[in-house]
Amino acid sequence: MLQTSGLWLALATFLSIWWGHVGVRWLEAKSADIRPPMVALIIAGLILNVAALFAPNVTIGGVCSVVGIALWWDAFELVRQDRRVRHGHAPANPNNPRHARYLAEGKATLHDPLDREPSDPFVDTQPTAHRKPEIAS
Amino acid sequence: MMWEGLAIGLFSLGIIGFGFFWVIRMEYHLGYLWWPYPLLFGVGIIVLSLLVADAGWSALLGVTGASFIWGATELKEQAVRADLGWFPRNPKPKPLPPFASVIRKIKAPHL
Repeated sequence: MLQTSGLWLALATFLSIWWGHVGVRWLEAKSADIRPPMVALIIAGLILNVAALFAPNVTIGGVCSVVGIALWWDAFELVRQDRRVRHGHAPANPNNPRHARYLAEGKATLHDPLDREPSDPFVDTQPTAHRKPEIAS
Repeated sequence: MMWEGLAIGLFSLGIIGFGFFWVIRMEYHLGYLWWPYPLLFGVGIIVLSLLVADAGWSALLGVTGASFIWGATELKEQAVRADLGWFPRNPKPKPLPPFASVIRKIKAPHL
């Protein structure tokens, strides 16, 4: 018989990482103050990790703990996302007062710098940051 | 108390942390076009987890497989970060992955 514990844990891990990317960006962009969602994520992570200790089997315990620890990571990731927006490494939401302040400071941007195709690694070895601007003649 | 569950959670933290390391190194030395290989490796590990009798070992394999699948989706964004100068870019020529012409036709996944 097949052992499905690994499959459940793989799903929990991948979905936790997916939420850590997509959900944290969304949450940070919508929150005027990141502290309340951070506290909520830390408490939810704590509840899940305590639940893992009392789980009836390894699979449920593992899923609870993987998701719980991912939520703790996400709480920390909210701070990093805030820093990315402030430095123009992630798009700012002009409707968010915190982001509006970063935009006014001049470093933040409305566009996503990562929303582009990478250069072909076998054609050009010069980073775009060091390329001369291309001017149409 | 079920300490194994907590151990699996801590293991996931470690393997995801290792994921950040290997994604940066792999993109630097090989380039993002190698993305299907860690993806297939991850899928292979998850398939292997189905065949392991012990639930704990199966869980660890499942977490490891998922982290490799995530890493494969991260290679393209890492290449963009290197393009933008946020990470060092390897000036040396990178080796072409097997089946490069086929891989180029597929849009690299990212989260």
